[in-house]
Amino acid sequence: MTDYDVLVLGSGIGGMESALKLGDMGYRVLVVESEPSIGGKMILLSKVFPTLDCASCISTPKMAATAHHPNVSVLTDARLERVVRMTDGGFSATIHQTPRYVDVAACTACRQCELACTVAVPDQYNGELVSRRAAYLPFPQALPQKALIERAGTSPCTFACPAGIKAHGYVSLVRSGEYDKAFALVSETTPLVGSLGRACYAPCEAACTRGALEGPLAIRRLKRFVADVHYGSDGNHEAPARPEPSGKRVAIVGSGPAGVTAAWQLARAGHAVRIFEAAPVAGGAMRLSIPSYRLPVATVERDLANLAELGVEIETGHLVRDLAELRAGGFDAVLVATGTPLAARLGVAGEDLDGVRSALGLLRDLKLGAPVDLTDRTVAVIGGGNVAIDAARSAARLGARSVHLVCLEQREHMPAHAFEVEEALAEGIELHDGWGIADLSGSDAVASVGLKACTAVFDADGRFAPTYDDRRRAELGADVVLVAIGMEVDTAAFPSLAPAGSRRLRADPATFRTAEEGVFAAGDAVSGPSTIAQAVGAGRDAAHMIDRYLSGKDLAGLEVPLPVVSHDAVLARQRAYTRREAFVHRPVLSPAPRGFAELEGPLSEDEALAAAGRCLDCGVCSECHECVAACPADAIHLEMRPEDHTVRAGAVIVSTGYRLFDADLKPQYGYGRFKNVVTGTQMERLLAPTRPYHGVLRPGDGKVPEKIAYVMCTGSRDETVNNPMCSKFCCMYSLKQNQLILGALPLADVTVHYIDIRAAGKGYDEFFEQAKAMGTTFIKGRVAEINELENGDLMLSYEDIAHGGVRVAEYDLVVLAVGVQPSPGIARLFEDGLELDPQGFVLEVSEDDHPAATSIPGVFAAGAVTGPRDIPESILHAGAAAVQAAAYLQSTRVPA
Amino acid sequence: MTAPQPRRRRIGVYVCHCGGNISDYVDVGRVVEAVREEDDVVVAREAMFTCSEATQREIVEDIAAEELDGLVVASCSPKLHQTTFREVARRGGLNPYLYSQVNIREQCSWTHTDDRAGATEKAIRLVRAGIAKTRLSAPLEPLNVTTTRRALVVGGGVAGMRSAVALADVGIEVVLVEREDHLGGAVAGLGEMFPNQVRGDELAARLIAEIEQREAITVRTRSVLREKRGTYGNYEVAVETAGKVSRVAVGQIIVATGFVSYTPELGEYGYGMPGVVTLEEFDRLLAKSSGPLRAGGREVSSVAYLYCVGSRNEENPACSRYCCSAAVHASILAARRQPSLRQFHLHRDLRTYGRNELAFRESRRLGSLYLRFGDDDAPRISAEGEQVRVIVRDQLAAGEELALSVDLLVLVTGMRPRSNDELVNTLKLPVGRDGFFNEIHPKLRPVETIVDGVSICGACQGPKTAAEAVTSGLAAAAHAAAVLKRGVAELDPEVAIVRAEACSGCGECVSACPFAAIALLDGASPRARVDASACKGCGACVPVCPEDAIDLQGYRDVQLRAMITAMAGEVAP
Repeated sequence: MTDYDVLVLGSGIGGMESALKLGDMGYRVLVVESEPSIGGKMILLSKVFPTLDCASCISTPKMAATAHHPNVSVLTDARLERVVRMTDGGFSATIHQTPRYVDVAACTACRQCELACTVAVPDQYNGELVSRRAAYLPFPQALPQKALIERAGTSPCTFACPAGIKAHGYVSLVRSGEYDKAFALVSETTPLVGSLGRACYAPCEAACTRGALEGPLAIRRLKRFVADVHYGSDGNHEAPARPEPSGKRVAIVGSGPAGVTAAWQLARAGHAVRIFEAAPVAGGAMRLSIPSYRLPVATVERDLANLAELGVEIETGHLVRDLAELRAGGFDAVLVATGTPLAARLGVAGEDLDGVRSALGLLRDLKLGAPVDLTDRTVAVIGGGNVAIDAARSAARLGARSVHLVCLEQREHMPAHAFEVEEALAEGIELHDGWGIADLSGSDAVASVGLKACTAVFDADGRFAPTYDDRRRAELGADVVLVAIGMEVDTAAFPSLAPAGSRRLRADPATFRTAEEGVFAAGDAVSGPSTIAQAVGAGRDAAHMIDRYLSGKDLAGLEVPLPVVSHDAVLARQRAYTRREAFVHRPVLSPAPRGFAELEGPLSEDEALAAAGRCLDCGVCSECHECVAACPADAIHLEMRPEDHTVRAGAVIVSTGYRLFDADLKPQYGYGRFKNVVTGTQMERLLAPTRPYHGVLRPGDGKVPEKIAYVMCTGSRDETVNNPMCSKFCCMYSLKQNQLILGALPLADVTVHYIDIRAAGKGYDEFFEQAKAMGTTFIKGRVAEINELENGDLMLSYEDIAHGGVRVAEYDLVVLAVGVQPSPGIARLFEDGLELDPQGFVLEVSEDDHPAATSIPGVFAAGAVTGPRDIPESILHAGAAAVQAAAYLQSTRVPA
Repeated sequence: MTAPQPRRRRIGVYVCHCGGNISDYVDVGRVVEAVREEDDVVVAREAMFTCSEATQREIVEDIAAEELDGLVVASCSPKLHQTTFREVARRGGLNPYLYSQVNIREQCSWTHTDDRAGATEKAIRLVRAGIAKTRLSAPLEPLNVTTTRRALVVGGGVAGMRSAVALADVGIEVVLVEREDHLGGAVAGLGEMFPNQVRGDELAARLIAEIEQREAITVRTRSVLREKRGTYGNYEVAVETAGKVSRVAVGQIIVATGFVSYTPELGEYGYGMPGVVTLEEFDRLLAKSSGPLRAGGREVSSVAYLYCVGSRNEENPACSRYCCSAAVHASILAARRQPSLRQFHLHRDLRTYGRNELAFRESRRLGSLYLRFGDDDAPRISAEGEQVRVIVRDQLAAGEELALSVDLLVLVTGMRPRSNDELVNTLKLPVGRDGFFNEIHPKLRPVETIVDGVSICGACQGPKTAAEAVTSGLAAAAHAAAVLKRGVAELDPEVAIVRAEACSGCGECVSACPFAAIALLDGASPRARVDASACKGCGACVPVCPEDAIDLQGYRDVQLRAMITAMAGEVAP
């Protein structure tokens, strides 16, 4: 049994005709269309030759008939993946359904999503002469008349964010001037907008496609910008509405980025949340170890104040030791997110001498306001990570005479970010890379650091296992030694969560559950030291699971991003991205820094807009969620994902049409470089009733063109582009356009440079005569090249065969009559292979008595997929395919 | 006379911009405002494309929400979208015949591009008339008729034969009528054809064999169609074979009567002179002989082809489409047989469209030379001993005048329509200015004609290659199958009705009807009776009735009077 009698691939005029004829005969037909609308190319034309009927007016009845025919089903946004011929002569087809990200049953085509969308892309339905939004309705006559969201995948910046923040989304919101909405979008993930805007290491920027061009966008600083704007208007914005209380209570142990983010998410879900923090202040590492010149205390405190607006309570100075007691105290769930509060020890002689202390301890004292004075001291910082850098640069600010940074790694392999090392050096820190610590010595207090050369940091398996050359030794005089060689989890605090000997708490990596019922663990306490962004991500995901746990759901359902878009794909798509200089604005560093004032300044609004304006919209949709909020029908679902399904059909008709010649393959004509060189397709749009401009204007400057030239056979009858064939209908569409132009612009001069005018068909030559009579000039001979003048006019060099010689002439607008190319990828859809002709069109194996029949019995090819055909020829061919498909069904006894 | 007072209606009116097709010259907003206040209008809206899915849906929703019982769309010609909007009405639960279409595009915007105010005023009047008509509309039900599952194909060339085979293969009986005593048509006389190197005689033979294998096909050679009568889907045709007439019931008729080759006048480019032949004659020479070319008993070492003979001129402005490619192909065949042959092509625009361009290249590779003459600068032909002298001014050589002496001059002649007056009269076939049969719409409905149940295919419609003729034959078969496989057809109920009590039986309407749809019922006093399946709703009978006893459903007299009154009202400036 088949699902359908006939599968029709493609819904251009040929596909629709085949489907309607078969549907009328009583067969069940499935039309599969990869575009979001049926109608193919014809619906986008201006008028048709030689009748000059309005193309959309005569297409729409066919489209409506196809969509509403009782025997015809239509799948748009669907791509055929594979067709297998079965032993009974029928076919099994795998169809890849791309989501529209819109519930088409709910969508009312009100276009609110389009108005709200923050991403503009070239409108392919208007010859890319104007823009449309990423959320859009394809064109006025599109069928189905439903919105869709164009998504090429996840933008690299968003994909790279360990916190799951929609980086592209807030960039596009900033670009649209929607700073508060950008803040709100980041807040969808975490309340730490200001802190991340300063202290995040910005993996988004490392992933940015512009990075390979002039440098990445300043994505992190845009986040800081929106936080600055939002917080700067404090008192003006309303506190967020509190959600309906769930009646559940959650305790969170630890107020670092993981705990705070989880608290935020849980509070937004309606749960009552209380955070327990052992330290006298909340914020974890952000508040206790990152120096204020990078992350001011006020910023962290302002971010944390967001929590209070949602009713989250933070109890500081409360050390939790007994989780069971906590649970018994009325909490339905507990999240342990205590991070890595302990400093690793060196384990060398002299480590307990006075003057030796952990870098974390020093930083914590500093941030808590304890008096720390290193005036005239010689400081050695041991370690090559970011904490070491923070300690060294803080020591410099505290008046140290000199600060030495000693690390095992060579400079280029230091775990600290390269820019941090650079900044540290700029502030006068002396780097001793490639050294291990032999011992610390001194009488009461430390006076000297014994160094031994490090030959390798990692073993062959990549594990940390430093080896030394004991013969190479050195001594470094220092009266303060700050150890920053690692941070550790306080496993002893929660023995039930950490197996014996484990250096971390154990939680299920997918669900965050621990061995104790109702207790979850997340963040650095589970993963070991990471970054703020990673901890935020862990906190957010853990909150998701706790919320599901509290509502009795299975612990699943984390957002799975679409695959990341490759830089190459973006750059290939964005043919006309302009060079825009990266915004480089490094802090001014001095070799003897003083004070802990923030180094990096804020972005001005102009700078922010310029930075955001460089975005290439890699994923197309930025996931800013504006459409989701704007849709009155709640019809937008960005979590929709592609699906494959299989259908059985008795016969197949391939009607996927053709591809137009890519005009920039004739570089001498300047298409893509000269704005006033357009293709015939673009001229169709300029002349169509739903034209992009209100009139025939040249795209470069909007001038009404007075002198227009047509270059026939662009990419056809041309061995240099490997297409010796004639494309058949370019002459006729050009003759039609000539007449429409002369109708719209009666004073214009239209000149056609041609080889032969191929007006072969009923009434076609008369149409050619009509174009001549209306005043079109015809010059026989090829166009050699086109050059652009300063005012955008174009200089054509051409051969004039009738009068002899090569001449030049100036035009306002040049139309390239591009021809037909085979649409790629048809043959490999079929398991049995579908034979193609030497040009790449589907081969009609017996055109004279079985036109449209292919090399596979039961598979027919109708219309321009077999070679250049105009509209009536495609319709005739589609009828031929339909009646033969019906005969095939009859012969294979596939039930009708 | 006062119009009857109708009950209150609830009418929705939609005025279309048609992109800019209408709104460029008609102030659509003003039209909507002007008709919004009309009695019974409860919805009045404008739309960018009323035919678009979005507006269609809006109308369907309005019908339910506003409880509409009448619908007016002011847009294009009803020929284009009447069916579309009747279907919209039906989807909304409204009888389709409570819908009226007002044509403000062809009748306003496109005709009055110089007068926006006038076009707008006219549109307002037309829409008012449409509302007045709709106010008096009544629901109608379509007529369902059972169709005859058999088709008649007229013409046994490749198009007709392929059409017959295709219909038989989808379960439809076929009667194939051919005037000659054998099937095959023009293609049966051809050797190798372009572009697939298939021999015409073999193709014809193959199709004849296919026909012989199919019981569902009855072949009637030496036969002509004499008569057609009946109604949609159920025709009776009279076929005469050798003086004997038999009648056959058919549901669809496909005409595939082919073409004739143009024969030049004697003296036209030397035609009649020794060494001057037509392309058809040259093709036959190539097909029927082998070895070195000989013509008129002499060896041929040089050939010139003169293109566009009988085409693209004052007498026949049409291009014959296939002849450029046919001549190029003939020169390839000749060159393969005789590589030493010198060949010259004297052409205008060389129209080897699509894939045939590859043959053009191949012919040049094989040595053909191409010379292009101007549209008003035809070559001059004269005899030169046993040879033909051709003088041509070649544009490709900067207008240099060249004199060629060749053994053979091939006049590249095209296809001309076959004169077939009887068939035209019997079927009322529409004939174009070029003499070929005309389809109903050259773009979207290329095989149907304006005559119900009659399709055309092959070269009777215009010049075609064999493959193109076969393709159109199959398309005609698809159309016939789409009608006949269902077994039933819905006919438009907008037909004439007779009030029997008022009819005097005078018979005026019977003679006025162009479709023989009215008959006088016998009885004590004869009464006119309309065969609803034969009536086309043309209305010719209505005004001739002296008793006003005939009305046309959907266009009743009261409706037309109301339309006139509505149209004549004041339009605020």
